[in-house]
Amino acid sequence: MSQTLLSKWTRPALVGFLGLLLLSPFLLPYTVNAKEGVLTIGNAGEPQTLDPHRYNLRLEETLLNDLFLGLTTFNAAGEIVPGAAQSWQTSEDGLTWTFKLRDNLKWSDGQPLTAADFVYASQRLQDPATAASLAYFMYMVKNAPEVNRGELPVSALGVSAPDAQTFVIELSQPYPYLLERLLYPTAFPVPQHVIERHGDDWVKPANWVSNGAYTLADWQPQAFVAMQANPHFYEPVSIQNVRYLPVVNEQSAYNRYRNEELHVIGSFPVGELERVKTNYPNELHLSDLLSMMYLVFNTEKAPFNDSRVRQALSLAIDQDILTDKVLRSGNKPAYSFVPDLIADYQTTPLPHVGKDRAERLQQARELLDSAGYNNPNPLKITLRHVSGVEGKKVNLAITGMWRQIGVVANLQQAELRNHFADLRQGDFDVAWAGWVGENNAEHYLTLLQSDIGNVNYGRFADARFDDMIKTAQQLSSAIQRNQQLAAAEAYVVDAYAVVPLYTVSVRRLVSQKVSGWQNNLRDVHQIRYLSWSD
Amino acid sequence: MTRYILKRLLFALVTLFVIITVVFFLLRLAPGGPFDGERRLPPEIEANLKAAYNLDAPLLLQYGRFMVNLAQGDLGPSFTQKDFDVNALIRAGLPVSLMLGLGALVCALLLGLSIGIVAGLKPGGLLDTLLMAVSNLNIAVPTIVAAPLMVLLFSVTLSWFPGGGADTWWHFVLPALALGLPLSAEIARIMRGGIAETSLEPFVKTAKAKGLKSPRIVFLHLLPAASIPLLSFLGPAMAGLLTGSVVAEQIFDLPGIGRYYVQGALNRDYTLVMGVTIVYSFAILSFNLLVDVAYGLIDPRIRVAQT
Amino acid sequence: MKRSSEQFFKSSPLVIVAAALLLLMITGAVLGPVLSPWDGEAMDFEALEAPPSLSHWFGTDLVGRDLFVRTMQGARVSFLVAFIAVTVSLAIGIPWGAAAGLAGGRVDQLMMRIVDGLYCLPGILIVILLVVLFGRNPYLLFAALGAISWLTIARIVRGQTLRLRNAPFIEAARAMGLSTPYILRKHVIPNVIGPVIVYTTLAIPAVILAESFISFLGLGIAEPQTSWGVLVSDGTAAMESSPWMLLFPALCLGITVWSFNTLGDRLRDHLDRREHIN
Repeated sequence: MSQTLLSKWTRPALVGFLGLLLLSPFLLPYTVNAKEGVLTIGNAGEPQTLDPHRYNLRLEETLLNDLFLGLTTFNAAGEIVPGAAQSWQTSEDGLTWTFKLRDNLKWSDGQPLTAADFVYASQRLQDPATAASLAYFMYMVKNAPEVNRGELPVSALGVSAPDAQTFVIELSQPYPYLLERLLYPTAFPVPQHVIERHGDDWVKPANWVSNGAYTLADWQPQAFVAMQANPHFYEPVSIQNVRYLPVVNEQSAYNRYRNEELHVIGSFPVGELERVKTNYPNELHLSDLLSMMYLVFNTEKAPFNDSRVRQALSLAIDQDILTDKVLRSGNKPAYSFVPDLIADYQTTPLPHVGKDRAERLQQARELLDSAGYNNPNPLKITLRHVSGVEGKKVNLAITGMWRQIGVVANLQQAELRNHFADLRQGDFDVAWAGWVGENNAEHYLTLLQSDIGNVNYGRFADARFDDMIKTAQQLSSAIQRNQQLAAAEAYVVDAYAVVPLYTVSVRRLVSQKVSGWQNNLRDVHQIRYLSWSD
Repeated sequence: MTRYILKRLLFALVTLFVIITVVFFLLRLAPGGPFDGERRLPPEIEANLKAAYNLDAPLLLQYGRFMVNLAQGDLGPSFTQKDFDVNALIRAGLPVSLMLGLGALVCALLLGLSIGIVAGLKPGGLLDTLLMAVSNLNIAVPTIVAAPLMVLLFSVTLSWFPGGGADTWWHFVLPALALGLPLSAEIARIMRGGIAETSLEPFVKTAKAKGLKSPRIVFLHLLPAASIPLLSFLGPAMAGLLTGSVVAEQIFDLPGIGRYYVQGALNRDYTLVMGVTIVYSFAILSFNLLVDVAYGLIDPRIRVAQT
Repeated sequence: MKRSSEQFFKSSPLVIVAAALLLLMITGAVLGPVLSPWDGEAMDFEALEAPPSLSHWFGTDLVGRDLFVRTMQGARVSFLVAFIAVTVSLAIGIPWGAAAGLAGGRVDQLMMRIVDGLYCLPGILIVILLVVLFGRNPYLLFAALGAISWLTIARIVRGQTLRLRNAPFIEAARAMGLSTPYILRKHVIPNVIGPVIVYTTLAIPAVILAESFISFLGLGIAEPQTSWGVLVSDGTAAMESSPWMLLFPALCLGITVWSFNTLGDRLRDHLDRREHIN
């Protein structure tokens, strides 16, 4: 070999480099291997936080329901049952609720869990420093709005712990649905002893303490949230290890489920529905969800402050086409903002439901014209939605419907948590939004209340509507309350603040290796009710 | 030789510095950018940002602070994640991306070199035409089409590979292939050209005349000389790998930093995008430095001329 | 010239195939949307995700839009991208390369150093960055794609310029006192045009792929406009239940890229051979 062509270091260097290259895949250390016996679930996305008082998204609720236990909780069928509280009593006027906690409740680090923890948690929720956007969930507690606005100290909040096992909530007005409201993470207890020591870092896995059936073992951003069974939970659980993976892409979820990498997934491409019914009949879980998917107008931004424009845009949308033709996955069209599924309540459908479509389009065009938008000056809108196949389809179809009345719309998509973060900031024209809720109309109607906070994304404000809601909230009889709420809905529907679109039909796949999975209207499935099939 | 390496190192450092500075000022001064003030940020994110960057200070001071933070390895808070800063996110994703990138490089080199050498030894022959046609097809079927098809075929239908995630090294084989195949086509093309041209050189004829057996001729004489155009290509090849990894990570659900780049872009998480840009620049420049060193080892002209 | 063009086209059946396919694609792009009764935005709610049929030749997409028209509109976008991006890259690259070659010495070294430095950067990621910061204007996108592609042409032009600069006939022209712009026009450019055409033919598919890539990620062409990248992205999501949504755009993209690449490769071989003959 001629020495002049190559330096004497060349050959060893080349060999070394090639060797390193070939071996490199085996030398790099990283993520934990998937273990046997770990329940692996595809979740709708990456959580923004695991602090129950700062959560916002349903996918976070799913995780928090396993990590914490509130006063009340769900059973496997989605019904309300005692949780950390074993029993409760209400006073005659409905304003004082007394909860008796179970004996010997403990935090996951062995510390006793007492009523004082619930007092601390309630105060922390309303503390302005926590900046909880769902703090309003507990506004019915005495002085809660004032504390949240910083007008009163947290000690003024209407919660107390006469003894370690008794927790008392005082309301400013009667609220018959309190037990349901306590199901949300906003009412979960948080470990005071940990928060005082670590501050905001208390949510890190190393410091994690909670009172639910599971604790946080690890959180690798964008990769997984790992949980393990809490040894101090008051009941034993069957499944010991769980991993929630953020699987946003439903095609990917479907692929990985079929490859047996995931035991449960929350959605799959709707085009596959027929095939799934044939090939995986025992694994398919189709169920209605108590929910409302709607469009919200930013009423603080012109021209959406003009109700004629809102009405025109609403007239052009045909909910039946959206559900029957575009989505074709069992979703139900929604003609009223409060879902039809709510018990004992009379919804008010949009005024134009049932009218001939051509007539509606004509009326819409006339309205736009009167508001100053016509052919030479078309209305231009940016419609925001959550990325994903369903979001894209629905919102594209909506732009197509708007095109029929001469509106030029383009789409802007964002990931779930960023979409809602922007909505809470009021950064939009018209946006798709979704709300999964309780079995009462108030939960939905209060979204249009002007002082509810940033979940009134469109900042809709109508004084008379606010009054009607406040009046309803003072009634303790559920029947009277519902009637008053129905009247408020009938009134506000003419303002076209939102356009109800459809309610969700969940299509899940659950592996046969997992048993105990029951469909329910809330689509809540706490891991502690599940077990391995063998 | 040492001087040559030091010169290239200096060049690389200067380039890195320029990139980071450009990135910083672009971020601050771009209209409609994150610091424009038009877009309202969630209060807790704003608090994080203010704490890290002191947004009221004059621009040069902010730049100084940014560089100091960077020198300490701090890439700043994320615009969309409250609980994790950019460092934490990148730390979580980097091993996955490295694994993917190296895997793709190995695949591309193995495949491309073999095809290129075999085709180049007998240019114009049947094998050459066949291999080159197949190779060209590889380029025509870009990653964005090939990757989903590969998932459908090898993962869903045949179940040979998992559909996503990054739990074991087996999870990386399919993504590495999807990413490496287009690159292998380019490498094959270059190697073929290099071998074919070098075969015509006088010194090869001399070696053949001397009676050296064919494989030895190939590996000892042809390869180093023919590799020179390949080496110049490796720099942009690395860039191509990084670019492709962004799509591969999305399609195969790999939690690497490429996905952050796209998600950061879509969600307007500027610090995250900038953090990934800086990491990528660092990777590219290091890789190019390695290529330069290899160049120096192989091509004596460079060693001699540039000292 | 004429004889060599004939020779070129006869040199291989692949060349004829590639040229024919390109012609087909261009015809489709220009005439397709005009000939079809559908327009790219009308949603046929009766036929969503429908397979190819007499009424919808390529089938329909998620919301019932005709895929043939959408694919041909995507073709238009691809050719537009190619045109604008290549124009921009030539506009930057040719003067750069020529200036470097003519100036020589330290200036040349510096200019080429810059080119070397930029060569190794991932251009597409840079374009994405610009799109994030400056907004999703399609013309900005196309120009940016051009701005990352000028490096190769600069190198080629510089190489040719250097070669010609030292050629005897140029020296003679100089000695005769002819001005530099005149020399450029009469002598340099005709010699450079060959490699430039080859470069252009090879740069087009690269730019088309780059735009498809960016649009696939959702960062390029936005709804309701479309491009092949967007169509492939949508098609991928419905790959199993509606394969035509992926098939047609992917096929068109592949054919176009392959044709340009084949033509460019063959052209380069052809020109090389002509040079050796000369």
